[in-house]
This record gives sequence, C-alpha cells and structure tokens, in this order.
Amino acid sequence: MDQNITEANSPEVLVATESRTPGSVAMSLRNVAVSFNGKTAVRDCTFDVESKKVTSLIGPSGSGKTTLLRALNRLHDLTPGAKVNGQILLEGTDIYRGDMTATELRTRVGMVFQRPNPFPTMSIYDNVISGLRFNGVKKKSMLDEIAERSLRDAALWESVESRLKVSAGNLSGGEQQRLCIARALALDPEVLLMDEPTSALDPIATLRIEELLVTLKQRVTIIIVTHNMQQASRISDDCAFLLMGEDRAGELIEFSTTQKIFNDPKDSRTLDYTLGRFG
Amino acid sequence: MNPMDELTLTPSLTVTHDTIQLIAKSHRARRVLISRVVTALCLAALVISAVPLVLLLVQLVTRGASQLNTAFFTTLPQSPTIMSPNLTGGVSNAIIGTIALTVYASLMAIPVGVFAGVYLGESTSKFASVLRIVAQTMAGAPSILMGLFGFSFVVKFLHVGFSAIAGSFALAVLMLPVIAISTELSIRGVPNTLREAGLALGAKPHTISTKIVIPSALTGIVTGCMLAVARAVGETAPVLLTIGGGYINQWRPLNPVSALPLSIYINAKSEYPSERAQVWGIALVLVLFVFVVSLSARVWAARKQKRNS
Repeated sequence: MDQNITEANSPEVLVATESRTPGSVAMSLRNVAVSFNGKTAVRDCTFDVESKKVTSLIGPSGSGKTTLLRALNRLHDLTPGAKVNGQILLEGTDIYRGDMTATELRTRVGMVFQRPNPFPTMSIYDNVISGLRFNGVKKKSMLDEIAERSLRDAALWESVESRLKVSAGNLSGGEQQRLCIARALALDPEVLLMDEPTSALDPIATLRIEELLVTLKQRVTIIIVTHNMQQASRISDDCAFLLMGEDRAGELIEFSTTQKIFNDPKDSRTLDYTLGRFG
Repeated sequence: MNPMDELTLTPSLTVTHDTIQLIAKSHRARRVLISRVVTALCLAALVISAVPLVLLLVQLVTRGASQLNTAFFTTLPQSPTIMSPNLTGGVSNAIIGTIALTVYASLMAIPVGVFAGVYLGESTSKFASVLRIVAQTMAGAPSILMGLFGFSFVVKFLHVGFSAIAGSFALAVLMLPVIAISTELSIRGVPNTLREAGLALGAKPHTISTKIVIPSALTGIVTGCMLAVARAVGETAPVLLTIGGGYINQWRPLNPVSALPLSIYINAKSEYPSERAQVWGIALVLVLFVFVVSLSARVWAARKQKRNS
C-alpha cells in the first residue's frame, strides 16, 4: 500500500517514503532552546529520537514539553517573538536552517493536538484527505484509497465507513481524535507529534488511542507529550524528562529508555517525579 | 521529602461554625431581596423599551394593511387633485427602485467588505489596525454624510447626475464598514486550533484562509452581509440626495429612480390626506422587506449552525 503514495505528483508526498531504516535516528535535537520575546521557555534539549519508536516527553506543568514539541514542526514560526535555537535535524537536515520549507517539514512531521480539532465545515472524508488536498493531490482514486487506509490505520474505518460524507462534528470525542490521527497519517509522515492526545478523552477512548499508537509505530515514529505516567510507561520506548529550572525555564533532566527512566534513573528528580512525589 | 508529611491542621478556631452560618443566613436574605429588586427593575426597563416598539408596530399594521392591494404594488403613483382627492395610485416605481438600489449596493459593498474584513481578521499589521479604526469610525458616521458623499462624488464630480448608481454607491459606502467589521469578528471567532491543524498539515497561509477559516466563518459573514443589506434597504438620507426620484418604473443604473424611504418622505409632506395615509402602507412594505431579509439571514445561519454541529 505504501507504494501508492509515491505515485503522487506532489514532491512533498514523494519524500515521505524515502530512506527509512528501522533502528536509525528519525530526529536529532542538539542544544535546542525555545524563547519568547527573549524569555527562555525551554533549553538544553539534546537527544535522538529513534525511528519507529514511541518517545514520550514527560514532566510537570511548565517544564516546556509542549513548547519543545511544537518546535519540531515549526509551529512557533507564526508566533511573534518566538525563537528556536540549537539544531533540530530530520533525517540529517536542519529543519530551521536547511533547504527545507516549513510546509515540506509539516507534511513529513505530522501533529495531533491536545483537543480533537477536526475541521467542522468538512465531512469525515474531507477531513481525512484535507492535508493531501492542501498539498495539491487531486486524483480521486488516490484520495479514496488513502482515506480508507488512513481511517483503517486509525481504527476508525468500521465505524465511519457508511457515513463518510457526514460532518466530522457528529463524531464522539474519541472518534474525532482518531479522525485527527487519520488526517495526520494520510500524508504518510515519518514522524507523528502528539500533544497530550488523550487528555480530553475518557479512559476507554484513551485506552483505544494507546493501543493504536503501539500499532502505529510500525509505520511512523511517534513523539508524544503526556502528563500521565502510566501512559508513558505503557506505550513509550524512550522517555525525555523535563523540569522547570530556577529561572522558570524548562530543561531536559534526563533522556533514556522508558525502562531506565522508570526503574533506574540517573537523576534523583526523575525518580521523585515518576513516583509521584511532585508535579 | 514528601511535602504531604508537613501538612498539619491549625488547632482551636475562635470563630465557630454557628457564627459563620448566622452571618451567611442574614447575608442570604439580603441577597435575595436585592436580587428581586434588580430583577424587577430589569423587567420594567424591558417593558419600557418594548412599549414604543409595540405601539409603532400596531399602528403600522392597522393603518398600513388597509392601504395594501394589488394596485398598490403594480401601479404607478398618481397625484390627487381637488376633483379626486383620494387618488393616489401605487408605488411600483419605489418598490422597483428599492430592489435595484439594494442589488447594486450589495454588488458593490459585499465583495469589498468581505475581503476587507478577512484582511482585518487575518492580519496583525499596523495597516490593519489603522484600517479597523477607519471602519469603526465609518460605521458610526451619520448616514446623511454618505448621501453627501454620493452626491458630491458621483452626481456632481463624475457628472453621472441623480441616478440609481449614485444612490447605491452611497448605500454601499454605508454598508461597507458594517460588513467589514462583522466579517472580521466572524474570522476572529474561528478557533486558532483549526488554523494550527491546517498548518500542521502543511497548508500555506492562503490555503488556511480560503479552505478552513472562511468556510468556518461563513455563517457569520453571510449573516453580517444580510443585516447590512437590511439596514441599507431602509436608509433614507443616502438616497435622498442621490437618486433623484421619479414617477416611472425605472431600474437602470444611470437613470434616476425612486425608493420606498423616499416615497415616505415625499408623501408624508403631502397636503392630501390620502397620500399621507398611504405612507403607512409604504412603511409597512418597507418594514416587511427588512424583516424578511434579516429573518432569512437568521434562519439560514441557525440551520447551517445545526448542520455543522
């Protein structure tokens, strides 16, 4: 099924399936810092995100997890006064200083937000393929095929197959979030960023999304921000632990495998946090 | 280590539970009284403001309805004479003129106003904030100014003369800021999360505007346009100085036309009671016009809203 994507006439989509070696590094962060109007929000983030794995960003409120995540697909670009320092490499290319446009980057690094945000004026079908349409894919057969595959991958196909033309607003919260996942998957991204994707959902919908993520990592590298320690330990392979420093800027305390972060962390603050002693 | 270990309760309170309850009880009684008085005052204010409106509508319907018949809508006005003082004819010229003026004015004001509003809503530039102040000032300007502007610019400066186009130009200037401001508000009402969703899917800013933001704001934009149209239909001052009037059925842009508000203005000054009575019929038609336009805007918006949720 992957091959069908490469037939797209859009160059952004073409790139998406190239050079993927399991076990290799998908994204590298080198001394990444984000500041707003000169005030640092998060800094000192250096770690490698491995391909086809789930990496979670954990830490208490204000530790800069979401800020860091949003730097990875240049969502800060439109915020006046926002500045990203250091290097963020996607398959070796600097996403801020290389010859990659923000638009190309975002077709390769997808994002799912905290609250489900399907486009309310579009049908379920139109939502799923919206990213393809925004990037110039017009062929009906291709759109149909990708729509079905993305919805299947997001475990939503069975429940919406018969009502693809219905407004996306008719879906439940959990279904809407899976629709947003399908929408991001439709562009066949290399990396999927998720900003607390289950915080607005009930426990059952949360569980279904978690199961989905574990399946999805066969196709796509996942970086997820979560407040939920159990969630991080259940689904992620690697963990980055961030904490707010003395000057109220978040910083990376420890990056390791999830196993190590939860059972044998190097830093005592990591242990305190994962055991629920603060945060 | 664990912050919870340090928590202890402060012993021996001097203020007892009963004291607090006693104060709270008398406070509640006072609140209930104040609440009742304020509610009554609000209700009284509502009645006071509704009374003139209801009286007006009752008078409009009772005195206007008797004027309405087929001839009223289909025939031209006729001047009463001493011999036949009850001869008034119809107001077909004014009805045609008002429709023509409204259509031309909408064609001019809606595209420009909507685009300006989208710009105001999406841009954060200095120019946009200056433009916003201009629009807000224009929206509050007396409508006779628009009439003067239409007169001096289109009638005189462009040498078009009294015409439908001069009148609709003046009305369009009146509608423009109303449309721009309501469009801007609708655009700003679109949640930023939708813009971000578009960005994250690799959409460029113009794609986000046209494919996500404007469709999401469309209900508000259309409602704003319809309300601006409804307002323009009933405006007298801008047309008074620009359309020239006339007693033939005329709709062509470059010719003088009549209009319902103008007919009211002229007939109200008539020395014949029959023509003065006809004013109520014209006013009723005008109000129905406005009512239909704004009602259909609201019904459309409500239906659209329901479909999207």
